[in-house]
Amino acid sequence: MAKLVLAAGVPHPPRLVYEMQQSPGKMRGEALMKQVGEQVEKAEPDLIIEVDSDHFVNFFYNNLPSFCIGMAEEAQGPQEDWCPMPRYTVRGHVPLAKALFQYGVHDKFDLAAAHELRLDHSLTVPLHFLNPGMRLPVVPIYTNGFASPLPLATRCVALGRMVRRFIDAWEGKERIALIASGCFAMDVGGPLRGWVDNEWAETISKLLVRGQYQTLARRATEERINAAGNNSGELLNWITVAGAVGKTKPLFLEGDEGNGYAVWKFD
Amino acid sequence: MSVYQINKLLYLTDNDLAFRKRMMEEPEAVIKEFNLTDEERDALTSGAVGKLYQMGVHTFLLNHLYRYELFGVNRDNYLSRIREGMAYDPRFEQGNMPVQRFIKK
Repeated sequence: MAKLVLAAGVPHPPRLVYEMQQSPGKMRGEALMKQVGEQVEKAEPDLIIEVDSDHFVNFFYNNLPSFCIGMAEEAQGPQEDWCPMPRYTVRGHVPLAKALFQYGVHDKFDLAAAHELRLDHSLTVPLHFLNPGMRLPVVPIYTNGFASPLPLATRCVALGRMVRRFIDAWEGKERIALIASGCFAMDVGGPLRGWVDNEWAETISKLLVRGQYQTLARRATEERINAAGNNSGELLNWITVAGAVGKTKPLFLEGDEGNGYAVWKFD
Repeated sequence: MSVYQINKLLYLTDNDLAFRKRMMEEPEAVIKEFNLTDEERDALTSGAVGKLYQMGVHTFLLNHLYRYELFGVNRDNYLSRIREGMAYDPRFEQGNMPVQRFIKK
């Protein structure tokens, strides 16, 4: 029996790795990433499932699934050459990804599957901190966080619950860490660039800390998400992970200018 | 109705190195290969970010106009251009664009 040993949520600022190299110890994001990283290391996972939204690097409007399981044997990233950080090869875990795909489809989730992947910064920035040396295999679950219509947040809770049932039923003995990649509220290159919807970010933090995941999902309508800026659909990745943690409340959650850093532990 | 074509052109600029090179060297020739309306072509070639935004071009893809400095769009004018035609909003006062490491190929 596999086991979910840890869940976490972190953002993926594309310049964080570069900026902390320029001025080490100065960025709050660096300290918080390290704090989450220490918990991941302590939990001794064998495998990471990362819930993420591709930023038009792997997917485009020609074929853009609401939910997709990544089942490549390995993939490279970040592909964006404007993202200053090391280029990595990340191993997948094809048997688990295939089993998750099948489990999900039989559980009435009409998932897509991708056997080749181009990883973007949103997948690789968290892994830079939480999977040093890319030692652990990673199975990505992509949600469409950016191209309207977004999947319903309540559906993302159900997706997370399905992933949890799958982990609990999976025949392997893996210790699994489930990681959400994304911000709470942010605008990147839209008209509201530079403004942070602190009210929404604080509401999200509060509901997550209290374990009120269903309430959060009900309030996270596409209209509310879009009002918080063009990048705010990444919240769906957090909500998916929240669906998987059940009644467990986070061990800690720290907000940082529209971003959140959190860990849930299950041991 | 061909906003898809503009999105595709910008997507390829970011993701296909050979295409990007052509876009930076001979953009007028490249866009002839796309099925754009006159209005769309004019908005694109004049770097009218606000107009493209109102037409429904995805903001993540619009970013590539300043990232690769296409059609006169750059880090310094991108935000004011995307806000053209929009009502003033006090939240704009907090706007800034990140320092980008531009990569020219």
